[in-house]
Amino acid sequence: MEKHEKIGVYICHCGVNISQTVRVEEVAEALKSNPEVVVSTTYKFMCSDPGQKMVEEDIQKHGLTRVVVAACSPHMHELTFRNACERAGLNRYLFQMANIREHCAWVHSDVDAATAKAKALVNAAARRVAWQEPLQPMKAKINPGTLVVGGGIAGIQAALEIAESGNKVYLVEKESTIGGQMAKFDKTFPTLDCSACILTPKMVSVSHRKNIETLTLSEVEEVSGFVGNFKVRIRKKARYVHDNCTSCGECAKVCPVRVPNWFDEFTQQRTAIHKAFPQAVPNTYVIDRQDKPPCTEACPIRQEAAGYVALIKQGRFHEAAQLIHKRNPLPIVCGRVCYHPCETECNRGYVDEPVAIQHLKRFALDWEMKHNGRFEPPKIDKKRKEKVAVIGSGPAGLTCAHDLALNGYPVTVFEQHSVLGGMLAVGIPEYRLPKKLLEMEIEYMKGMGIKFKTNSKLGADFTLESLLKQDFKAIFVAIGAHKGVKLYVPGEDLEGVISGVDFLRRVNLGISREIGRHVAVIGGGNTAIDAARTALRCGAEKVAILYRRTRQEMPASPEEIADAEAEGVHIAYLTAPTEISGKNGKVTGLRCTRMKLGEPDSSGRRRPIPIPNSEHELEFDTVIAAISQSPDIACLNGKSTVHLDSTKWDTLQVNPETLQTNVPNIFSAGDVVLGPSTIIASMGGGRRAAESIDKFLNNQPLKDYKTHVVRPEIFRGESFRPHSYAPTYKETPRAPRTHAPKLDPQQRAAIFAEVELGYSEEQAMREAARCLSCGVCVECHECERVCEPKAVDYSMPDEIREVEVGQVIIATGYDIFDASKMFQYGYGKLKNVYSSLEFERMLSSTGPTGGKVLLENGKEPRAVGIIHCVGSRDANFNRYCSRVCCMYAMKFAHLVKDRTSAEVYQFYIDMRAYGKGYEEFYSRILEEGVNVIRGKVAEVVEKKTPDGDKFLNIRCEDTLIGKFREIPLDMVILCNGLQPNKTADKIARQFGLSRSPDGFFLERHPKLDPFSTVSEGIYLAGCAQGPKDIPDTVSQASAAAGRALAMISKAEVDLDPIRAWIDERYCSGCRICNNLCPYHAIDFIEEKKISLVNDALCKGCGTCVAACPAGAITGKGFSDRQIYAELEGILAG
Amino acid sequence: METQEKTIEQKAVQAKEKFEPRIVGFLCNWCAYSGADLAGVSRLQSSPNIRIIRTMCSGRVDPAMILRAFELGADGVLIAGCHFGDCHYLEGNFKTMRRIELLKMVLKRFGIDEKRLRLEWISASEAEKYARVSFEFTEQIREMGPLQLQTN
Repeated sequence: MEKHEKIGVYICHCGVNISQTVRVEEVAEALKSNPEVVVSTTYKFMCSDPGQKMVEEDIQKHGLTRVVVAACSPHMHELTFRNACERAGLNRYLFQMANIREHCAWVHSDVDAATAKAKALVNAAARRVAWQEPLQPMKAKINPGTLVVGGGIAGIQAALEIAESGNKVYLVEKESTIGGQMAKFDKTFPTLDCSACILTPKMVSVSHRKNIETLTLSEVEEVSGFVGNFKVRIRKKARYVHDNCTSCGECAKVCPVRVPNWFDEFTQQRTAIHKAFPQAVPNTYVIDRQDKPPCTEACPIRQEAAGYVALIKQGRFHEAAQLIHKRNPLPIVCGRVCYHPCETECNRGYVDEPVAIQHLKRFALDWEMKHNGRFEPPKIDKKRKEKVAVIGSGPAGLTCAHDLALNGYPVTVFEQHSVLGGMLAVGIPEYRLPKKLLEMEIEYMKGMGIKFKTNSKLGADFTLESLLKQDFKAIFVAIGAHKGVKLYVPGEDLEGVISGVDFLRRVNLGISREIGRHVAVIGGGNTAIDAARTALRCGAEKVAILYRRTRQEMPASPEEIADAEAEGVHIAYLTAPTEISGKNGKVTGLRCTRMKLGEPDSSGRRRPIPIPNSEHELEFDTVIAAISQSPDIACLNGKSTVHLDSTKWDTLQVNPETLQTNVPNIFSAGDVVLGPSTIIASMGGGRRAAESIDKFLNNQPLKDYKTHVVRPEIFRGESFRPHSYAPTYKETPRAPRTHAPKLDPQQRAAIFAEVELGYSEEQAMREAARCLSCGVCVECHECERVCEPKAVDYSMPDEIREVEVGQVIIATGYDIFDASKMFQYGYGKLKNVYSSLEFERMLSSTGPTGGKVLLENGKEPRAVGIIHCVGSRDANFNRYCSRVCCMYAMKFAHLVKDRTSAEVYQFYIDMRAYGKGYEEFYSRILEEGVNVIRGKVAEVVEKKTPDGDKFLNIRCEDTLIGKFREIPLDMVILCNGLQPNKTADKIARQFGLSRSPDGFFLERHPKLDPFSTVSEGIYLAGCAQGPKDIPDTVSQASAAAGRALAMISKAEVDLDPIRAWIDERYCSGCRICNNLCPYHAIDFIEEKKISLVNDALCKGCGTCVAACPAGAITGKGFSDRQIYAELEGILAG
Repeated sequence: METQEKTIEQKAVQAKEKFEPRIVGFLCNWCAYSGADLAGVSRLQSSPNIRIIRTMCSGRVDPAMILRAFELGADGVLIAGCHFGDCHYLEGNFKTMRRIELLKMVLKRFGIDEKRLRLEWISASEAEKYARVSFEFTEQIREMGPLQLQTN
């Protein structure tokens, strides 16, 4: 295609910036060889008014159809010259810029090479521009809302400025209060204003502005869209305290947790429910709940273990017992015989040994019973008509009955035995769970109005059908697993063979304590141990447990095994019976075989394999088979027309989530569903079933359960911390578990008295102090209890906010340099060496010393050293100057002088007092008698005086007198430099921002546009862009707000029309581009069998253009033809 | 005969000494081009042999453009985009990486050493990296000598 354009080429000297390295005239001359170039000339400053005029006039005079300016980067002045072209009537996109300053003159010293390169670049631009096409800018509406990220002084200022105009602002802050770093300061330099006095009124006015929505505890999760039309997703973490909090502080008084307060730079302790500082905005308490405590999460009924442990630690035993009882219908039982999954998950177990949570629970309840008598059953106000039947009075049945009764349902519990409690009563021996304690639990339930019918056996005395006929609206089947599983070896029907559960039942019910002299117990579970120890107590002379695996695989709890052995039970491992031998129908012995362990089976335990020819005979007169139990479900379906589905293991088939059986109003849980399981798992099932039954009777769908589901084991790596302020496992000091006393083994083996004796108060408090307060809040519910306005809400969820805004101001601020990296200054190791922010908190009246300057030992310092440039102006860390340290060091010096009689030494490199009133402030401090030493400190070490007093010794070079000096001091304050906030990386990615080499966000132009970014509509304020003092921060924030307001007033913005465009004629409909587009901007049009670009979604990256095999896609502004022309130009000549 | 050989060798050495590689750099607007701009503002010397073409994203660079650059006499081609995760267009640089890997396989068939094509991730703040890469790549190409394409 023949093209005849009239191109004007203008080469800029940029003063001498370009012309001293590039022979500009030669470049202009060379361009004249291009026949399309009509004008080719140079000028001192193309961007100046005469320079732009020249272009405009030439367009009109010569009828130029294309313009090339070779000057600086297009990022600098492309817009300037596009506007000039437009003013002269030329379409703004018929202009091209060649970058011969940043990419050529400034980076090369060889004039010949630079000139040659400039020629190539300008030639390329001239060739390219000939192929450029007139384009129309796209218009976009500006949403008048603004998002401000960061609630420090910069964010506050920007938000207030914008709100003043009446437009909407979302102020997002990741902490629980706005105020940022400035809120931590005591005084500000150079005026020595009280920081709080000037900041807090601004914070309060943010909270009063109706059009500022402050989102604390919030972080941006995702950003999409473009200038004027951003969509931002914000996660607002739950505060767990509602806005009706009156900030009375009663909650903090009762909170048992203490952790270091981040706001005080960890120099002061705070409670889990807290307010960062008294003037915090919003003026609402917040609960620091990081991860939920694993003990609590591991419990099937979600008993708040960490909560009562924390209360016991403080000696608040009554509160602890109340907390336990609130959640747990069988607290005394659980305190004695629970399987305690809480201890298995306890984080302390990864340090040394788990906290003895179960013993502590027992202690709290024993204490309560001793001091306050029995628990008073609650008054239940709710009344329901629907009757519910519970079959079985074991842990599952009792829990279900308890929960339903609390909801006002009339509940009747049917029990086949003469005593209540199911397995608790007939399976667990007296020496582990005294019967009178179990009776107390049941009395409590009776007090709640639950009716019990004993000696009522399902299948014999009543059926499911008969219950339904008696107008029970729902039935809970919890008949447990009471049938001993047979050994399936010859001789099992001999006299003297009995199942473990039958034996225990017989003894527990007081039917008979008869037992042989030599007893063998087969099995390795708790039932086997219970049977063996009970056999001893019944008078057996010799009791042996035979187990086919080793002790490691034994399911019984290790403590029980040890107790049994101490009492004289012999355990034979890797031994299995093959036959029970007998004479005259009575047992005489066991034929056994030795086993070895093979590969692990489905349970993960290694499978026992018999060793051939290892059979041997052992003498016994009684054999107790305690290998397992199964439910006796024959009684269920025998006479009833109501049929419940069962599994091949003879357990009931239920929906695992709802616990509903195949009959809609019959639910089931506990051992009859799980097979032989644990008390606490059965209680969890009973609780879930009660919720299901309640939902069912309210005609609600069986979903959205509130009852707890045990969460899978948490992953704990090397650097795992129980909460963010806690040390790692490795760093946590070891403290052994306190063991509760027990009856003497010799003495106890013959009697049924309780073996475990329980903690003393002192022992309990010592043991409870081992708790690591995982997740900070331990859920003791004390704050909830004392809160008058009922503002505390543990169930508050995280909130996801989707907001639409037109512009964004990033004001994420700074963190201070971690001074422990400069180990020579001893920070973190030596006492009385403070970081700048720690010292700010010490100076504050709300800080750890109430504003007094004190040493760690509470004495006033005699000499204080202040070290400048810690982590700043240091090639090892940050090269840049942090700009504020010299002045805050002067402020520190003044305040130390003001509040103590100490000598103050400043160690500086260069004194930078560049702001308004700063030099005067410096002079004033000098006049106050502060010693100023010019030189970098080499090291800070601790030394002792001849009297043995410790002091800090600074070694440095005094460069003004040219000598090394050693100065003894009591206290050292480090002037930590400023560095980008640790969230900067995330923010940069989310908002597509660039960062300068120092890590701060990159501004559009360091001089002319220091508060914009190259991303349109995103502005910077404060230290997010670079270190600066408060006045500069406030100015920049106002400037950013001003720019945002200008955009809002404009209401519409021009967008570069750089977009992909598909020529329908050439599109083959291959759809390669569809999946390539990260914005899903390309749709396949089914009727036409072609793809088309959605302009509103396309961002113009051009990746589809490069991929289109048919060449049907064109990148407007960056078409193939244009790039090829540029390539040809660059490589020509 | 001996002397003749020597002169050929000498000529080759002389040619190498005189040889100034011509390198085309395709730089993405947001990261690499801005990084090169920063090198300019910081007055960090870079190789004059690299001439830069700006594209909005490194993903815009069609492999055919790279082949065309070699055809037009480029001795080396540099593609520079944003680091992974930093792409202004979310994932353009991943596509670039895949395309360049494939193209390198194709280059061999054209008799072009794959080392003549270089892919770099340069952020807007990595002026020093741009400068370093420019010299490294220029010296590498200088060492390899001019690209001689076989034309039939």
